[in-house]
Amino acid sequence: MSSVENSHQVQVENPQWCPKCGAALGTGEGKAEVTPGTPTCEACGAPLVQPLAEPGAPIPPAPAKNRNPLALVVVAIVAAAMLYFGFHMARRGGADNAAPPILGKSTPAPDFTLDKLDGGNLKLSDLRGKAVLLNFWATWCGPCKIETPWLVELQNQYGSQGLQVVGVAMDDSGKDEIAKFAKDMGVNYPVLLGKEAVGDAYGGVPALPESFFIGRDGKIVDRIIGLKGRADIEDSIKKALNTQASAESTNPAPQTLQAHN
Amino acid sequence: MNCKSMIPPRPNPAFVAFFALLAGAAFAQSGKAPSVSMVPVGLVTAERATQTMVPLNFRVASGFHINSNMPRSEFLIPTSLKMDLPTDIILGKIEYPEGQDLSFPFSPDEKLSVYSGDFTVNVAVHPLHAVTPGKYVMHGVLRYQACDNAQCFPPKALPVSFDVKVTKEPPTPHKNPAQSPHVHN
Repeated sequence: MSSVENSHQVQVENPQWCPKCGAALGTGEGKAEVTPGTPTCEACGAPLVQPLAEPGAPIPPAPAKNRNPLALVVVAIVAAAMLYFGFHMARRGGADNAAPPILGKSTPAPDFTLDKLDGGNLKLSDLRGKAVLLNFWATWCGPCKIETPWLVELQNQYGSQGLQVVGVAMDDSGKDEIAKFAKDMGVNYPVLLGKEAVGDAYGGVPALPESFFIGRDGKIVDRIIGLKGRADIEDSIKKALNTQASAESTNPAPQTLQAHN
Repeated sequence: MNCKSMIPPRPNPAFVAFFALLAGAAFAQSGKAPSVSMVPVGLVTAERATQTMVPLNFRVASGFHINSNMPRSEFLIPTSLKMDLPTDIILGKIEYPEGQDLSFPFSPDEKLSVYSGDFTVNVAVHPLHAVTPGKYVMHGVLRYQACDNAQCFPPKALPVSFDVKVTKEPPTPHKNPAQSPHVHN
């Protein structure tokens, strides 16, 4: 008999001592006799251990640890769906409509045309052949205020090598306030009046600042979310400057987002 | 019938823990947006013709801050509470706490004035004498703009509401009735 089976059955064979009075049991001296079914101590009458099952009855096996494969598959699918949903929501950043595209490196920068702060408009694809730092910012953004003087310096430093910084103001402030901010910061690059559609095309831009570094071939080479150090920005600028203009550079992108006022 | 087939499979605790971890990670990924919440306000009792200050407690999520009511830059958006004006109940002065000094790591010399963690805005409620005693609901909006230490999020508006129970003013102490000039002892 295995030990597992023993755990389900009671010892009725020759108990040694009464648990209450300590009298010797089953010694063969007639002091104690175990009666099958209702064993008691003959010395004190205390009940002895009761059998849980009839001797010889089949012992139920321990529950097998079988897992339903279908349940495992369902759980795995649900977990995968939740992970996808989580990443999906993180990328959306609160946008109400369809999720913005995920812009990775080597992705062609979405083209657009936006109004410039000082009049006229600017089409991104017109800058093909240059390295573009596309900087989304707002007047109410404290880190943007720290970053902007760096961008002014970097435009001065690398402009001759083909860098073009482009600022996209993403706030609802009036044009005058944006102009005042730009003037106070000594901005020396074009500032565009941002539109939600353009932000969505660049992944939603849920927080500011956010910068995209676009190579001379019109493809995104790097992206910085939030305020990083000046050296980090400069490193990404160098990556963009080191790209080669492709033959397609002279052709405008087929889909261009238009600014609508 | 085989009884074993009726026993539902017992979930493995390690598997459940792993699943919970995955779910938590997924939820955390979707929860990057900053949040400001209002601690529920109990029923405020305000006597007629008396000004009662109502403290409204707000909580800024950990890791974020919002501009105080008096930010140090004209471009920054101040935190402000705008209450709808109900009839016959005057909402008086709104008192904001002073902001805490904060600077971004890349610009330690430039100090910002912000709220983080818990902060309280006090609103003065003044029911007029003509107000019918009863329960009224005050509505408003807290406008704020949040940042963490590297990026800022678009301005948001948090709905604010609290209940005010307007009671009658306490009876004024009675003066001794004027003596009739015609009564002479």
